[in-house]
Amino acid sequence: MTHLLKTKFALAVIVFSLLSVLVGASKAFQFEPSRFPFLSWTGWTIKSFLESPERSNVLFLGSSLVLVPLDGVDADFLGRKIDGSQHHNSCYFESKFKEATGLDIKSFTFALPGEMPSDAYLVVNNLLTQNKKPDVIVYGVGPRDFLDNLLPSPSATDPYRFLSRFGNLDPVASRMMPDWMDRLNYELGKLFYVYGQRSDLADWATGKSVGLVNSLLPLPQDKQAVSFDDRRLLAPEYRPCEVLAGQALFRPSTPKEWANFSDNLAEYKKRYGKLKWDTYLTQLGFFADTLEIARSKGIRVVVVMMPITDINRALLSDFNWNLYCKSVSTMARRKGASVINLSETDYFQRSDFMDTVHLHSLGGRKWLDVVVASMSGNHKVLSALKNTQTAGGAARIAKQGGETQL
Amino acid sequence: MLFNSLQYLVFLPTVFLLFWLVPHRLRVPLLLVASYVFYMSWRPIYGLLIFGLTLGNFLLVPLIAKAQETKQKKIWLGVVVAANLITLGIFKYAYFGMGCVKSGLNLFGVDWHEPHLHIILPLGISFFVFEFIHYAVEVYRGKPLVAKFMDFALFASFFPTQIAGPIKRYMDFIPQLDIPAKFKWEYIDEGMQLILVGLCKKVLVADNLALVVQAGFSHPEKFGSLDLWLITYAFAFQIFFDFAGYTDIARGSALLFGYKVPINFNLPYLAANVADFWHRWHISLSTWLRDYLFIPLGGSRGGKWLTNRNLFITMALGGLWHGAASHYLAWGVYQGVVLILHREYVELLKRVGVYEKLVASKLYHVFSVVCTFHIVCVGWVFFRAETETSAMQIITKLLQAPVDLLHFTTSQLSILQIRDPIIFPSVILIVPVLMISQVVVNWLSDKKIYKNPPWAIQVGMMVAMMCLLTIFSPDTSPRFIYFQF
Repeated sequence: MTHLLKTKFALAVIVFSLLSVLVGASKAFQFEPSRFPFLSWTGWTIKSFLESPERSNVLFLGSSLVLVPLDGVDADFLGRKIDGSQHHNSCYFESKFKEATGLDIKSFTFALPGEMPSDAYLVVNNLLTQNKKPDVIVYGVGPRDFLDNLLPSPSATDPYRFLSRFGNLDPVASRMMPDWMDRLNYELGKLFYVYGQRSDLADWATGKSVGLVNSLLPLPQDKQAVSFDDRRLLAPEYRPCEVLAGQALFRPSTPKEWANFSDNLAEYKKRYGKLKWDTYLTQLGFFADTLEIARSKGIRVVVVMMPITDINRALLSDFNWNLYCKSVSTMARRKGASVINLSETDYFQRSDFMDTVHLHSLGGRKWLDVVVASMSGNHKVLSALKNTQTAGGAARIAKQGGETQL
Repeated sequence: MLFNSLQYLVFLPTVFLLFWLVPHRLRVPLLLVASYVFYMSWRPIYGLLIFGLTLGNFLLVPLIAKAQETKQKKIWLGVVVAANLITLGIFKYAYFGMGCVKSGLNLFGVDWHEPHLHIILPLGISFFVFEFIHYAVEVYRGKPLVAKFMDFALFASFFPTQIAGPIKRYMDFIPQLDIPAKFKWEYIDEGMQLILVGLCKKVLVADNLALVVQAGFSHPEKFGSLDLWLITYAFAFQIFFDFAGYTDIARGSALLFGYKVPINFNLPYLAANVADFWHRWHISLSTWLRDYLFIPLGGSRGGKWLTNRNLFITMALGGLWHGAASHYLAWGVYQGVVLILHREYVELLKRVGVYEKLVASKLYHVFSVVCTFHIVCVGWVFFRAETETSAMQIITKLLQAPVDLLHFTTSQLSILQIRDPIIFPSVILIVPVLMISQVVVNWLSDKKIYKNPPWAIQVGMMVAMMCLLTIFSPDTSPRFIYFQF
């Protein structure tokens, strides 16, 4: 120790560590996990979920395979543009479900672009707290969710960046961060508060400097600040996933648009490529954990194996395809979830899709009809919804002076 | 492996600890293994390339020394230099060469489809090839051979300087390997201070300026002449802080093992003329070009026209050394031309008889520094622009600046309209601060408080740098600019 003090560098490290502890203990530097420096699709969804005063009964989980048809269908159904970053329920589903069962339910869409089972795990584990948990989760999955070669690690997704701010990652750290550098980064963040909270601290410091710069160098009075699109053009690497309100629009579709088909096979050739066992097993593990946690929280889960086109399916070897189908359905049933298998049926045609995996709004409507029909015939789902409808409904009636009808 | 990565944060202390724990005879092998691990962490196969070149040079260069006649020596020197240059040519200039051939054939109406060779430029090849050539030429000139293969292999692959220099001289480096150095705490203090300063230069200054520079050089049409001057200044400081930052980290890392590698920069933007700039900028490259290209071409021994020709060739090839693209060649040509013009200007002043008087004048010195900085900045436009067309577009706009300055209002500055990220308008403040910082450092450089500050200041500075680096380090920092060369 005395030797160490001979070096100014060691002394500096000690002072830095003490400072880090002090900053960590100071209330001025405790940041709310929901205070995001900027909002991506995930950020908007979390914000909306946390700010929503009402609990939703049905929560959708999944990737863009779920998100795109949900919002596309609502744009048609409501006959107006839908802002994907602000619209977080499925009006069509709620309406159809009420038609089929008479139940007046609220839905929330936590389906996110690129969402993996590891992200779904974080949603269910960290965000679905007692007063926020839904009665039923509708979880749409596709082969990509388990077999994506382009994913370096579960911690590489945009949803992870936002969702990991909520809750403790220690129990799943080795699976979330299989790469030793990611893990080291995480452990350093735990060791040094300043490092762990660096993005918040940087955001805080930037916020302070913005005021100074704005007062010294204000925007010229006869000029307007550049648009978000121009900023994205000029600085594409700055906040690449940021989404502004009014930017991710779903418009009502026309028959001509339904006929448009975009070939994204090249992308999926890369995604499927050679089976990466570690990705597959990790994601399957998170899928199982998600279902298990949902069960332990008393949430009924309906797993929907999403339809994909025959040409996309053909990219997968029979082994990989069977592996996906069997593991998902077996795991779901083992964890007490219901399964709607739409991936092994010819009910969906290529004409229902906008590309090789995403359903367009007409195909999405067809898909939601199947989901509603299946759920409304599932007594476990109905019972989960009816139980809380009664309790929640009574509370709502009391709150709204008896105007809400069950 | 990048210096500004977590990998390096683990790698460097590990090698450092092992180095001082093992006996002296194992230190060179240890550093050699570490250097190959460092290099091969990027693409393992390229470890074979650096090893092959090392072995080839180690075996061939003694033939130069052994040759009895000058003619024979020259032949062997030619063989060694050609082998190194051919390797560099294949990996670095094959696509550029084929592109030139294709363009040439197109002029004659021939549509040639060049083959795709799947060549990826090996990191640092330009640097270690230059070190091999330096070794061969020095042996040809009568300097001693390196006796031990391990020493020679470490000279070429020493990880702190492997990727982007400084380009070492074997007579300076190899003798350090034989000294059975004892550990000193100062190695840690001095080395880590250099590393922290280097990281701050890179992460805090260069990487932030990169955002503005990228915008300006990719979309010059979105900016006015005054914006483009600011952006050009910003690039001048970005490339300086990026490369000087790298060099500081390299020197600091080497110092942790008790080794000294040459400095590469000496406040280049305070140069009073272009020749002076090249004595202060990338010193290890400019001295290499002087010793192994300019002087062999005849240097300044053959009269005015030959000297100018040699200068021109040296700088043009120096430009091409930076990258296989015509805008680098254009930058080199520009440097050659301005160096020649400077020589002519000095001669003119001497003929008129005002040179001594002007050089002694402080006002003229300030004027010269400002002029030189702007001449260098115009050169940086060729260097940074993606094509010569783009460079010319930017330079045309830069030339409009005097007119715009005549009726200047802040409304002319498009950069002020980009409020997020805040670095865009901040550049207006940052650039002058960086300019002044050069003057301040120059003023402080001979002061005791700067050369040997009190320990409390040193500790305070290190803590401040640690905090800033911790908070403002992005998850992914761009690579050092000079890695591509």
